[in-house]
Amino acid sequence: MLDDHLIGVLSNMGMISFIALSAYLVLVVGEISFGQQAFFAISAYASGIASAMWGWPFLAAVLWGAAIAGLGGLLLAIPTLRIRGLYFAIATLAFAEMVRLALEIFTYQVEVDGELVGPDGSEGFRDIRYIYEADISAGEFLLVILGLLAVTLAIILWIERTRLGAILRMVGEDPALARLQGVNVNLAKIATVAAAGLVAGIGGALYAHLNTYVEPKIFNVMLGVHGLAYGLIGGLGTAFGPLLGVALDIGVLESTRAFSGYRMIVFGGLVAVLLIVRPRGLLDEAAVYRIRRFLLRKHAGD
Amino acid sequence: MADFLQNCLDGIATGAAYALLALGFTLIFGVLRRLNLSYGPSIMAGVFAGTALYMGFNAGLAEIAIATVIGAVVVGAYIERLCFWAIRKDMAVASMVSSFVIWMQIEEAVTLLFPDRTYAFPGILADAVVEFGPFFLRASSLAMLAIAAIAVLGLLALIYRTHFGLAVRAVSENPEAARVAGVNTGLVTFLAFACASALGGLAGFLIAAGDQQITPLFGLWATFKGLIAMMLGGMGSIPGAVLGGLLLGVVEANALWYLGVETRDLVAYMLLFVVLTFRPGGLMGQAALMARRAAESRV
Amino acid sequence: MLEVAGLVTNYGMIEALKGVDISAAEGRITCVLGPNGAGKTTLLMTIAGLLRPRRGSVTFEGRDITGASSTTVVRQGLALVPENRLVFPDMTVRENLVAGAYTRLASERGEAMADLDRMLERFPVLQARVNANAGTLSGGEQQMLAVARALMTKPRCLLMDEPSLGLAPLIVAEVFNIIRELNEAGTTILLVEQNAHMALTVAHHFFLLDQGRVAFDGDPGTMAEDEVIQRAYLGSAGG
Ligand SMILES: Nc1ncnc2c1ncn2[C@@H]1O[C@H](COP(=O)(O)OP(=O)(O)OP(=O)(O)O)[C@@H](O)[C@H]1O
Ligand SMILES: [Mg+2]
Repeated sequence: MLDDHLIGVLSNMGMISFIALSAYLVLVVGEISFGQQAFFAISAYASGIASAMWGWPFLAAVLWGAAIAGLGGLLLAIPTLRIRGLYFAIATLAFAEMVRLALEIFTYQVEVDGELVGPDGSEGFRDIRYIYEADISAGEFLLVILGLLAVTLAIILWIERTRLGAILRMVGEDPALARLQGVNVNLAKIATVAAAGLVAGIGGALYAHLNTYVEPKIFNVMLGVHGLAYGLIGGLGTAFGPLLGVALDIGVLESTRAFSGYRMIVFGGLVAVLLIVRPRGLLDEAAVYRIRRFLLRKHAGD
Repeated sequence: MADFLQNCLDGIATGAAYALLALGFTLIFGVLRRLNLSYGPSIMAGVFAGTALYMGFNAGLAEIAIATVIGAVVVGAYIERLCFWAIRKDMAVASMVSSFVIWMQIEEAVTLLFPDRTYAFPGILADAVVEFGPFFLRASSLAMLAIAAIAVLGLLALIYRTHFGLAVRAVSENPEAARVAGVNTGLVTFLAFACASALGGLAGFLIAAGDQQITPLFGLWATFKGLIAMMLGGMGSIPGAVLGGLLLGVVEANALWYLGVETRDLVAYMLLFVVLTFRPGGLMGQAALMARRAAESRV
Repeated sequence: MLEVAGLVTNYGMIEALKGVDISAAEGRITCVLGPNGAGKTTLLMTIAGLLRPRRGSVTFEGRDITGASSTTVVRQGLALVPENRLVFPDMTVRENLVAGAYTRLASERGEAMADLDRMLERFPVLQARVNANAGTLSGGEQQMLAVARALMTKPRCLLMDEPSLGLAPLIVAEVFNIIRELNEAGTTILLVEQNAHMALTVAHHFFLLDQGRVAFDGDPGTMAEDEVIQRAYLGSAGG
């Protein structure tokens, strides 16, 4: 059996992967978001409310949280349609901080089994006790995380191989050209940002239930920046890129404690250097193309 | 009404600090058409250099101010080389992300060197208060206002009255044409960055001296306040930076008074979000709209 | 005066110049012709220090300026009038001209300012709009401004990249008049043109650039006789 430390690390990697994938989706349509942590937060709260306060079953609570986060994505995408580049990035940052600060004053509690349960402003939201009540072990929960991640990843990879994927990339690379080709650029962007919210939301719901406790300050800008950086490290050519980024940072730097105490110095330096030499990450479009060709040739050779 | 006026007075005082921070931001944006999110942390590092001198050698105010400015400029130079000079000119967003990760680097380096939560900083005019009839203002705030005004005039003179300013404007308007005219764009950019960092160092010194303490969180605070103030006024606009800073100060002071401390920051971000989405050029409009088009380069 | 030998310049993996040899004789007008994408702009930008060559050399008045920065090149007395007349749109015409003299401001400010007045006399269209923002000038006026700004560096050799591009015939004639006058006043000129007919009226020597290589090198007489050039550049009018 896996030891507890390893289970913890893998669970962490799995949950953060959702934020990384979510930031990656926004990058695919050509924008940078510093604010995907907002959707992680929205869903953590919404799903926690559903399971701990309304007594919903776990999976329904996760889907509910993700749906609300997707709605949050719409709420961000529509007013920011007209702005791009630096402006969009700063708007996402402002949005995420608004969500975090709103959670700092958000209070909604009900009595469950004689105890007050629910978000209590900056005190946070305690007793999201589903996994204790259902007696789910950390190992089993890890399987849930990895299962949901695999499904999410499979859907994204599948979309990337379809015409829709090609359209989204075209919107990211050259929106004017996409528009000329008859693509509804606005719709593509709104839908992608909403989908990105939903993906981050799955991670947030899992996070709330694994930790049983969330507070607004967890969902600060640094969480979002990490999610974004993972895609930029791992590569923007494929959805495996952000996962590679997560594996490198959490899997190697954090879990081995190789640079404990000055990990951010190493991580920050690493990303900065990567942005210079490979601005679209390790697995960028060219690398993905080469790998794909290599695999095909090998396949043909067999 | 009296409350409101007193709030506005308080707001203008804090707003002067925001305006100073926004000025450096806007100078960097004006020249590079890129955002330096590590601006606050570089100032924070400078202030810590000052506090080290204060605690270690009991240095005087002038030495501390100089150390703060030098510290900010040195860290600023590091940021400029790594996040701006080394990254391709058409990748504004890569530079912004890079400056964000370097922010984390600076913050951790400072926390390693200064592990406590807060450090003392010498005050100037710390407890003095100036009264105007029923209203009052801290003397340090008044000094900050005066220095912000001087800084604006100085910056305007530098940009519109000197050879260096001409080069800065040339690079800002059309880097390639500037090179054709023989302007050393790399050097001009670097020097403009250094000027912005020096201005930031000065702002950091004044703010820390007003608070008489400094924490590593100062970097985050300075970046966000400066950024919001600049964007409210319009990126790249010097008068806009001042207007945005003062407006942010006044709005925050009133939000604090009428709505409470949790709501104050929320209101500031809402203001930013609304301005960004409905008037991306900021309040100073046109001048900044030009900059906007240039800034909208993509990933 | 200006010698370019074996010049190779790349954009990433693409080789835009594949070993170019050209020269511009002192006091002469040398013209480089070539189809779109031949590498003409790349050649001028490399000479002017805006691009770095992979291989080859650029020599100006006997001094090696290969890979020198644009600032150095300008100080040596070589100025570029770029393609698409890159002016500073939000600066006034006067400020544009002062910016042109940027390399001289520190050492010979007085002389530069005197040149500015002379320049405004020389170009009455600029005099008329001296305090207007350059972005509000017409295409022809902007071209004059770009030439005047390059002249503010006091060059001994002027590199001009398609100065007639997008201008009305009357203005084109005026631009070529200016080129001739500048040359008569002693400035060596290396001119890139698509308009071979106009070029024939002023140039003393021709080069034809094609796909990054020199395809022809000769004086106007030989060029007018060359069959390929006849067909490609002089069209029916030449035949
Ligand atoms: N910035 C660039 N990046 C990549 N390739 C470029 C770039 N600029 C030019 N090229 C390529 O280099 C080649 C030469 O271009 P160049 O601009 O020098 O041609 P030109 O002769 O000036 O053409 P024109 O007459 O259209 O101005 C062309 O194939 C062009 O596509
Ligand atoms: Mg050309």
